[in-house]
Amino acid sequence: MSVDLATRLIDVLGGLLLFSTLLILAAGQLFRAIYAVAVQSVFLAIAGAVLGAATGNPDLWIIAGITIVVKAILLPWLLIWVVRRIQIPREIEPVIPINATLGLAAGIVVLAFRLSASLGPVRQAITGNALPVGIALILLGVLVMASRRKALVQMVGLFASDNGIFFTGMAVSQGMPLIIEIGVILDVVLGALVMGILVLRVRSSVDTDIADLEDLRG
Amino acid sequence: MASSLLWLTPLLSFAIGLAMLLVRDRRVLATLDVAGSLVLLGLTLAITGRVEQGGPVSALGIFRADHVTVLFLVLIGLLAVAVSLVTVGWMRRELARGQMRAERLRYYYALVHGFLATMLVTVLADNLGILWIAMEGTTITSALLVGFHGDKHGLEAAWKYIIVTTIGISFGLFGTVLVYGAAAHAQGGVLAGAMNWSSIVAIAPRLDPGIIRIGFIFVMVGYGTKAGLAPVHMWLPDAHSQAPTPVSALLSGALIKCALFGIIRFHTIARAACGPAFSQGLLLTFGLVSVVVATPFILAQYDLKRLLGYSSVEHVGIIALGLGFGGRLGTYAALLHVINHGVTKALVFLVAGDAIGRYGTRDMRVIRGLLGIAPVAGTLLLMGVFSLAGTPPFSIFISELMIIRAGIAAGRYVILAVFLFAVVTIFAGFIHRVGQMVFGTADASVGREPEARLPVLGLLLLVAAMVLLGVYVPAGLDRVLAHATEIIVG
Amino acid sequence: MDNTAAIGKIVAQAGLLVLLGPLVTGFIQKLKARLQCRQGASLWQPYRDLAKLLRKGTVQSDSASPFFRAIPVLVLAATVTTTVMLPVLWAPAGAARLPMGDAILLLALLALARFLCAIGALDAGGAFGGMGASREMTVGLLVEPAMMMAVFSVAVAGGTTDLVHLAARRGMLPALAWQAPDLLALFAMLVLALAETGRIPVDNPDTHLELTMLHEGMLLEHSGPGLACIVLATHTKQIVILTLVAALFFPLGLAEGSEPLEIALAGGALFAKLFALATFLGLVESSYAKLRFFRVPQFLGLGLVCAFLALALRIL
Repeated sequence: MSVDLATRLIDVLGGLLLFSTLLILAAGQLFRAIYAVAVQSVFLAIAGAVLGAATGNPDLWIIAGITIVVKAILLPWLLIWVVRRIQIPREIEPVIPINATLGLAAGIVVLAFRLSASLGPVRQAITGNALPVGIALILLGVLVMASRRKALVQMVGLFASDNGIFFTGMAVSQGMPLIIEIGVILDVVLGALVMGILVLRVRSSVDTDIADLEDLRG
Repeated sequence: MASSLLWLTPLLSFAIGLAMLLVRDRRVLATLDVAGSLVLLGLTLAITGRVEQGGPVSALGIFRADHVTVLFLVLIGLLAVAVSLVTVGWMRRELARGQMRAERLRYYYALVHGFLATMLVTVLADNLGILWIAMEGTTITSALLVGFHGDKHGLEAAWKYIIVTTIGISFGLFGTVLVYGAAAHAQGGVLAGAMNWSSIVAIAPRLDPGIIRIGFIFVMVGYGTKAGLAPVHMWLPDAHSQAPTPVSALLSGALIKCALFGIIRFHTIARAACGPAFSQGLLLTFGLVSVVVATPFILAQYDLKRLLGYSSVEHVGIIALGLGFGGRLGTYAALLHVINHGVTKALVFLVAGDAIGRYGTRDMRVIRGLLGIAPVAGTLLLMGVFSLAGTPPFSIFISELMIIRAGIAAGRYVILAVFLFAVVTIFAGFIHRVGQMVFGTADASVGREPEARLPVLGLLLLVAAMVLLGVYVPAGLDRVLAHATEIIVG
Repeated sequence: MDNTAAIGKIVAQAGLLVLLGPLVTGFIQKLKARLQCRQGASLWQPYRDLAKLLRKGTVQSDSASPFFRAIPVLVLAATVTTTVMLPVLWAPAGAARLPMGDAILLLALLALARFLCAIGALDAGGAFGGMGASREMTVGLLVEPAMMMAVFSVAVAGGTTDLVHLAARRGMLPALAWQAPDLLALFAMLVLALAETGRIPVDNPDTHLELTMLHEGMLLEHSGPGLACIVLATHTKQIVILTLVAALFFPLGLAEGSEPLEIALAGGALFAKLFALATFLGLVESSYAKLRFFRVPQFLGLGLVCAFLALALRIL
């Protein structure tokens, strides 16, 4: 696959990643947000495969495979399992209205693209629009976490942020070293497990959403 | 041999942690804990010796120990020993009070050693990716420790901690990716070790300043979150106050220093790539905001451990200010402050934990007359707090003074004025509160058991370091600090 | 090529669109029926309905003004006029062509039709008509600017707002020349198309439960040939929107000249595109529930944000 074609495909996949994050933000229900992040991870894996084909770096294929298994299947499955287990209401309770979040999101994306447009020659080092999309995804993930009160949605936001980092990481020259990527994914999985444990423990002891606890102040 | 020490040290710590999972006996666990920590300290000192004699050592292409590393390494080793000694007494009381269940003890000890291992990897990493992975590892292990008691507040603090720091340091990962991208670009394709700090620093002047700038901002926000720099410090007071006391000491003394280590590594790259003004300006901003934000919270605080948590925010801010003033003096002072604050804050947390155990509360209005019932703890608390507040002849005074001199040399008078005002205010608030706790007479209900020998030994270890560093900086430490400054300032 | 031939082509493809309009509706209804395990009405049912309505007499509210009789015709006229601006079969790249109007005029005429419809509903003085009109205008308020932005995003890349030129220009590029803004604009258009064609989750075209009606609410007072005009306008609007999406994003297979093979190919491409988009509408309609009205802005907000981003990223 030629580099030119790969750049175009990465551009398109960047758009898809952005759109799936917007879907997470617009989701009114927990399951939709989880499915959206799973779909996003699939796009991420496709991006990995495209870059693997373009650069001839087999590591990227492995990372694409791991991404599918871990981020598109395992983590969403974990989230769904926790949701089923604790039987919480499935409506997402936004702290600020969803449309306001969407407006903010639009601002963030524009900002990210402006920022990286100002960088000029640096963009050669990173394929296509992976840099602005990565920045936008990270910040949008934070927006999800800040604007939603449910612990599980906050985790979804975290995964979306991670996807953004991976997207940029893959698009840097030849991708990051395999061992590092695997280590990072391992951390994400372990972190998600610990978060899941905390959510379940709070649910079983005080019967509220952990993100709703607000006793510690000052 | 020396190079294999680099990976052996964390591996050993990790192995000890795993081995602890198999043990159920409390005494064996405590012995393993103390012995393991002592071995750890020995290994870190051995690495230090090698680095001092032969310069930086690297191993496996991803680990590296230079003079900056060994400073943090020895700090971790020292705190591990002191904390393990104090844990002996602390654990006995917690078990007696029913705060800790005997059958879950081994998980606690195993997690502590896992936590130590991840911190060791953090400071030993040459590969910036490994640095990040280990840093996230510290979050995972310590989040479980913060919520170990399993009460509502502990779990809330643990959740806040893991969510805030995880998202925070994912910013750090993004910054790492950008710096790596810049390095790969400058090298024209990826060479072996393109993610290694040592090879990136070597080509730092050729890196694109624009992308390094953005990368450093991300790293600063990311690792700054983990270091507890305001305004991204939200997790710190909660986690520090809710964690089991020995864990609080490790969090405050060692963990946030590891995050600072990450910032220092990237600061070195950014300095070389886009001139000192940019990264120093950012450090000054974060540092000053931290000091200013911490002040009112310290003054209005009744919870002893939260007070100490906010004090950590202040001191991390001071270290950032020292790095931000820059120059040899500022950097040297900041590194010295890392050691001084690590030792002192761990000491105060441990003593405070003892007091909290005796009085059964963290409310400083209830704790009265500590000196009367626990003379050693009372004295040490007083000394530690005087040191934290920046009084001579204790160590923190020395490093703060040097940081102020660096600020004068840099001509940053406005920042200095704000900084001094905040420090003086904090001093007054601190002394007022702690004076009430230490003096006076205690209620009859307070636990008056005599102070155990082993924990006091741990405390004395720390207090000796604190007083010694207040009087003079030993020649060996001075050499290491000078070399480390050299590495950072170039 | 002279103007007569060009006019011939334009009229031919406009007529084709108007004729095919009810078929698309019929297809979607059939698809929905099959997905619900029903046999469903025949594909040609919409035509039969139209024929039936045309045979019937007109009943009119006492309170309606004389203008009321003119409304359906005006609505139909405005809608049908838009069909001449679209590249349906031919994209006369570079050839002399009559300036028939561009995307802005197209959207403006659709807005005009919407406005006339609402005026008619208010004119008749029925309660449900007024409610339907108010809701329809609320939706329009959100949809129209978003659609403008999505169209502009593509137009900026093509350097023209003339849809025929735009389609021809994009048609020359390789199929993979898509960028993130194109994609976002497409998503925006798909979301907006659901609203603009009056489909679930925004509106329910099958409902005759007055409280939930948007578009249907406005048609309550019309009857006979007048209603037939408005219904035909609705069918036409639907196919216009679908063709617009196809012209902006999938302008493949458009014919250059008038050889039969080329035209057959273009016709096949048109059918394929309409089939795909109609299937999309049908599938969404079968798998989602209608949103409560005050949740609609949230749904359309997604389209608005996508359209805005598409435009912003294009300009940046």
